[in-house]
Amino acid sequence: MADLSTNIAGIKSPNPFWLASAPPTNSGYQVQRAFEAGWGGAVWKTLGDPILNVSSRFAAVSFNGQKVAGFNNIELITDRPLEVNLKEIYETKKKYPNHAIIASLMVEPKQEKWHEIVKKVEEVGVDGLELNFGCPHGMAERGMGAASGQVPALVEQQTYWVKEVAKTPVIVKLTPNITDITATAEAAVNGGADAISMINTINSLAGVDIETWNTIPHVGGKGAHGGYCGPAVKPIALNMVGECARNSRIDVPISGIGGISNWQDAVEFMLMGSTSVQVCTAAMHHGFRIVEDMIDGLNHYLDRKGIASVNEIIGKSVPKYSDWGDLDLNYQIVAHINNDVCINCNKCHIACEDTSHQCIEMLTGTDGKPYLQVREEDCVGCNLCSIVCPVDGAIDMIEKPNELQPMTWNERQEAIANISYVANSTAK
Amino acid sequence: MSEHIEYMKEKTSIDVLLNNGYTIKSITENLSGAFVEFERITGSKIHSETLHILTADARKYFSVHLINRK
Ligand SMILES: Cc1cc2nc3c(=O)[nH]c(=O)nc-3n(C[C@H](O)[C@H](O)[C@H](O)COP(=O)(O)O)c2cc1C
Repeated sequence: MADLSTNIAGIKSPNPFWLASAPPTNSGYQVQRAFEAGWGGAVWKTLGDPILNVSSRFAAVSFNGQKVAGFNNIELITDRPLEVNLKEIYETKKKYPNHAIIASLMVEPKQEKWHEIVKKVEEVGVDGLELNFGCPHGMAERGMGAASGQVPALVEQQTYWVKEVAKTPVIVKLTPNITDITATAEAAVNGGADAISMINTINSLAGVDIETWNTIPHVGGKGAHGGYCGPAVKPIALNMVGECARNSRIDVPISGIGGISNWQDAVEFMLMGSTSVQVCTAAMHHGFRIVEDMIDGLNHYLDRKGIASVNEIIGKSVPKYSDWGDLDLNYQIVAHINNDVCINCNKCHIACEDTSHQCIEMLTGTDGKPYLQVREEDCVGCNLCSIVCPVDGAIDMIEKPNELQPMTWNERQEAIANISYVANSTAK
Repeated sequence: MSEHIEYMKEKTSIDVLLNNGYTIKSITENLSGAFVEFERITGSKIHSETLHILTADARKYFSVHLINRK
């Protein structure tokens, strides 16, 4: 069995699976239940001045029978007084000393407010702090959460204030509601963050009821934008983690969050640079015990790969994540239809004919039976046919040797710029 | 016409010039594609030919040639 123990910026946990700050970590009862189930750490529901919530606060987007493909909420931070939370954190930490408890914090962007809350939570023995600069609704209207997290200078300043007094590692949780997350990640690093985590939820409206014309969810006929999370946001989160991980100026560990539902998702985030992963929606959908499969799956994966410690996979895909201009323009793949598996539904033909490069032909064999065939020389290898194909193994995308050597866009433009330069200098 | 056939025609016209001693003198790329100016110097005479390249694959093809020329 592989070693799953994790250390992110000095915060140690028996495995990399943490519950994200959200309803699953509302109370001591829940966090203790989670640790019993096997979670390695928990980021406590964000602490701050206790808020008031509305009723009817969650909504989910189901897609083609898949329940909770995306999840939307308009819930705010904790509605319980700080002392109540601190008492439960203290008791939980005492019972589970080897599990990580991280206090998520959100206060107004004032130095004395940050100093006050940091000192109070550290007194009860938390392992680290996570600054919530991400909550996209409600709190943002009051200048906190995403409103702070979208302004690099405020991220840096507030991180700095926290670091002035913090004795435990400080994780800065970033909002995805920004064009370039590396700008705020860098600001966090400049402010002294020991680690960053991402993503918080994405601005969203889950839907509109076409009969009543109400928003989904609605609060007595009125709605407000919420935060989106769950499986649908995973690709967005994974890219943001990757962009930060490959940026040399962001030289702190990352805790990856966003749509992680199983051990495979967790491995993807770790390969892309996450040291630990945090989960919210999947736990809300299926309960704490999903962590059992996550731990087993990760263990088997590492054993199968002959890897002794989970730490060895962190960031292994980062060097493979690059800019478009560095990709090989002459790398070629083409679609190959396996006619013995294909059910002749023609979805690939329609997709290619209507929306791609018109290179899948519907032919009739000598036995009179229809079959599909790719005209390889016209196939650009876009993958669309294999994406829409309903049958596993019916379409393979295979590498096709190219007589042309590898060439990136950047290399090409450099070569063109060079001849222009030569031409210009000869002209002089 | 198939994109591939189009490419093969453009590739052939590039090859013909290259095989006849022409070299790429300049490349101008704009909304209409690429205009590749070829040149051959024989004695004091300069022969110049310009190809208007339309297909993406042919634009890759002459670029590789350009890189290899270095
Ligand atoms: C109902 C709900 C409440 C949340 N509350 C908080 C919060 O108080 N603090 C915080 O930092 N993130 C909060 N989040 C965001 C999650 O911690 C997490 O960043 C996000 O849900 C993405 O992870 P997921 O796709 O696994 O759900 C909340 C999410 C949900 C669904």
